[in-house]
Amino acid sequence: MLKEHLPQLQKFAGTRRPLAVLLSLGLLFAACSKPNNNKSDSQIGVHQTIDEAGRTIIVPNTVTRFISLAPSLTEIVYAIGAGEGLVGRTSYCTYPAEAQKVEAVGDTLKPSIERIIALRPQIVFVSTASQLEAFTSELQAHHIAVYVTDSHDLEGVFHSIERMADVLGKRPQADELLKQLRARVSSVAERVKSQPLVRVFYQVSDEPLYTIGRDAFITDLIKRAGGVSVTADVPGAWPKYSAESALAANPEAIILPTGGSMGDANSTVASALKRSPAVANGRVYKINDDHLSRPGPRSVDGLEDLARALHPGVFTK
Amino acid sequence: MLEARNISVKYGPRLAVSEVSLRLSPHEVTTIIGPNGAGKSTMLRTLNSGIAPVSGEIILDSRPLGSYSRRAIAKRIAVVAQEAELRFPVAVFEFVLGGRYAWSSTAGWGWETARDVEVARDVLRETRLEELSDRLMTELSGGERQRAVLARALATEAGTLLLDEPTANLDLAHQAAILALVRKRCDTRGMAALVVTHDINLAAEFSNHVLLMKDGKTVAFGKPNEVLTPDLLKEVFAVKVLVDAHPVSGVPRITPVHEVLR
Amino acid sequence: MSIASSTEVPAKDRVLRGIDEARATFKKTLLVCAILFAALIVVIVVMSLLGSEKLPAQASLCALLTFGKTSCGLTSDQDAILFDIRLPRILLGAAVGGSLAVAGASYQSLLRNPLAEPYLLGISNGAAVGTMIALVFMGAHEWSRPLMAFSGALIATLVVYRLAQGKTGATPERLILAGVIVTTFLSSAIVFVTTLMDATRIRSFTFWLLGDLSGTTAKLLWLALLIAIAGTIVLAAHARSLNLLMLGERDAFDLGVEVSRVRLVVFIVASLLVGSSVASSGSVGYVGLVVPHLVRLSLGSDNRITVPAAAICGAIFVVVADTIARTIIAPRELPVGAITALIGAPLFVYLLRRR
Repeated sequence: MLKEHLPQLQKFAGTRRPLAVLLSLGLLFAACSKPNNNKSDSQIGVHQTIDEAGRTIIVPNTVTRFISLAPSLTEIVYAIGAGEGLVGRTSYCTYPAEAQKVEAVGDTLKPSIERIIALRPQIVFVSTASQLEAFTSELQAHHIAVYVTDSHDLEGVFHSIERMADVLGKRPQADELLKQLRARVSSVAERVKSQPLVRVFYQVSDEPLYTIGRDAFITDLIKRAGGVSVTADVPGAWPKYSAESALAANPEAIILPTGGSMGDANSTVASALKRSPAVANGRVYKINDDHLSRPGPRSVDGLEDLARALHPGVFTK
Repeated sequence: MLEARNISVKYGPRLAVSEVSLRLSPHEVTTIIGPNGAGKSTMLRTLNSGIAPVSGEIILDSRPLGSYSRRAIAKRIAVVAQEAELRFPVAVFEFVLGGRYAWSSTAGWGWETARDVEVARDVLRETRLEELSDRLMTELSGGERQRAVLARALATEAGTLLLDEPTANLDLAHQAAILALVRKRCDTRGMAALVVTHDINLAAEFSNHVLLMKDGKTVAFGKPNEVLTPDLLKEVFAVKVLVDAHPVSGVPRITPVHEVLR
Repeated sequence: MSIASSTEVPAKDRVLRGIDEARATFKKTLLVCAILFAALIVVIVVMSLLGSEKLPAQASLCALLTFGKTSCGLTSDQDAILFDIRLPRILLGAAVGGSLAVAGASYQSLLRNPLAEPYLLGISNGAAVGTMIALVFMGAHEWSRPLMAFSGALIATLVVYRLAQGKTGATPERLILAGVIVTTFLSSAIVFVTTLMDATRIRSFTFWLLGDLSGTTAKLLWLALLIAIAGTIVLAAHARSLNLLMLGERDAFDLGVEVSRVRLVVFIVASLLVGSSVASSGSVGYVGLVVPHLVRLSLGSDNRITVPAAAICGAIFVVVADTIARTIIAPRELPVGAITALIGAPLFVYLLRRR
């Protein structure tokens, strides 16, 4: 590139040489230099990090204003004591109660971009389940960092808690929380260790019949609770399931997530399962769907609910 | 026998037909003549209950028209419109068979009986369309199509035929043929016919009675030579005419006299 | 009805005889329907052998042929799969397919428009909105869904009819226009109600909207079958009137057709058929559009033959499509409406190009 400009430079050189040299050097630097993140960024107070979707993002060193776009992430925020920095949530983020005082920016599927931008957050936390790909690029255009969480099992949830705590500067609180959560998880594992595995059908909805598949993190919860999901090898996370296969599976226990945000929906067993051993032996358990469908701190509550249902003998409390 | 007494029909605020009476007797052809907008076609359509009059009554075979069902009316009164409605392609034979609709009972699920097919064949023979029976209606010439429309009307075996400008788009040969057929049916089988037409000479040739209408009202009713006079025609059409006797048939021959502007 | 043949047939009569054979006659219709019905039975039996769980073919056939009275060596689970899950679903598919096809055929004849179809006329959407209201506000009651679906379909029908009333009555052109207006309005209503639902319900509801035959109780199945058969019979009884109406309403009137009455009856019965289908299985698209066309291409436009034939062919179409939907990614399922669209749309393009 310099070669092309040489004749012009030479022309300049004749008249104002020093200035020309300085000018061209400056142009050269401007054209060829890359933004040097690490050094100059820390001068403004940001740093680079990688979120759980593998994206490299730039986050401020100190986060005072942020938004959560998933109920599970809102629960994590409050569990690690970062609630005061939360300036926006979805209308479904109803737990804990303090969250309801925070301004809602819409639902999980189509939140209002205008509202989000108007709240001037530094970061927006998003869960992959929300399918917000197009939306994240729009936020990035407004220089709002988007952190994507992605957990497929309980360890993944714990990892999300740690990473969010890192970003929000609440690592000590998170560590304490995780210590307690892990203790509870170990306690459950201890107790169900010697119990025979219970074959479980997890009914997401009765009509149409939906269940959990390979990629659902509830499958991991069931495993840790001393059970095995009869649909554990079905591809996907929330497959619509064939009634015949549900019948042929003959599960020993059926879990009905209901009663939380779902209200009393899904409180009856699908007709295909009415002949199952689970129904015959009265092993149909209704568990608060919020404990099971939100990959957050209450997932451990869900784990304990599941373990208590599947192995009542070892949980006499 | 079909009789209309003091029929009035309203289109919105306007009286399209005002106190017109008519009687259609067997063996007789009646024509309605008048300028556009005189209410001729409207009058015709009240006779098969297609349009409801605001006053007056229509008596069919000694009973009010309203006391008959739609099918019953269709068995007794058939209509030949100016042009057939052909929104879908249909073969001539099938088209003509449509005339037998009123005779089917729903118990038969609308399938044609042997009699229906026989009647259809007969009318196709009578209208000289049997060679074209398997062709599509849209493949026929205008004149042939009108013959098919007439054939369908005849297939209903109705005693009264209402023809609304049946010769409007036809050549001379077909005009004569259609009306000759109607005349023959009236003469030999005792049908009654009502023809609305613009062709005054044809009317003179074929009708027993002529109804002259203007602005929805009856101007004159009677035999052709009584109604088709220069004075009455001038009054109705605002055109000077010469009326003499047709050299061959003797019926009134009407020739308009145009004032040529030079 | 056949004409007694004589030994000497004059030339003119021979021409007429030729047309007789090309026409739809009672015998021809009976034959065609018998063949199609036999094909339907075969399809039902064969599709009963297919599913996400493998069943022993011979034992299943044996059990089917004895109507489930003998188990023929099937385990009680297999028996339950065959008779409590698969067969009811297949029969429901037949009822839905038959209802939609016959309704579509009737609309097309009545409105003289080859694109007339339950969805286009707003009736599918009316039934869907009714069902949604039942789901969201009356969830507990079993009969609320079909009842609200009928109401929705009927209300949509009457609204469309009213909107289309002009001086000359509800002409086909106005009916189609009114139908498009109503259907787009109701689509927005559906989207609106969907946003009021929570995330878990949305997923299952979206699936249902695309057509789902998996949820049915015995009572609803019998209702759907009854309506499908009764509706087809009523519409077939009006087939000849529809033939005349197709040519033109003025002439049909003159020939003795009670035009307004036939229009109303056909419209309402077809809407009930659609309402019943949507209540059972959501919107299964393209059946009411493609099947009547195929039938007309093969058998001609005489409604006396196309109406019953469309019913049977529609049943076959949906039974086959649903079998694909429930086996192709087994044990997961696809909405049957997705399959009917995947087959129906290219088929329809092909049909259009043939004309």
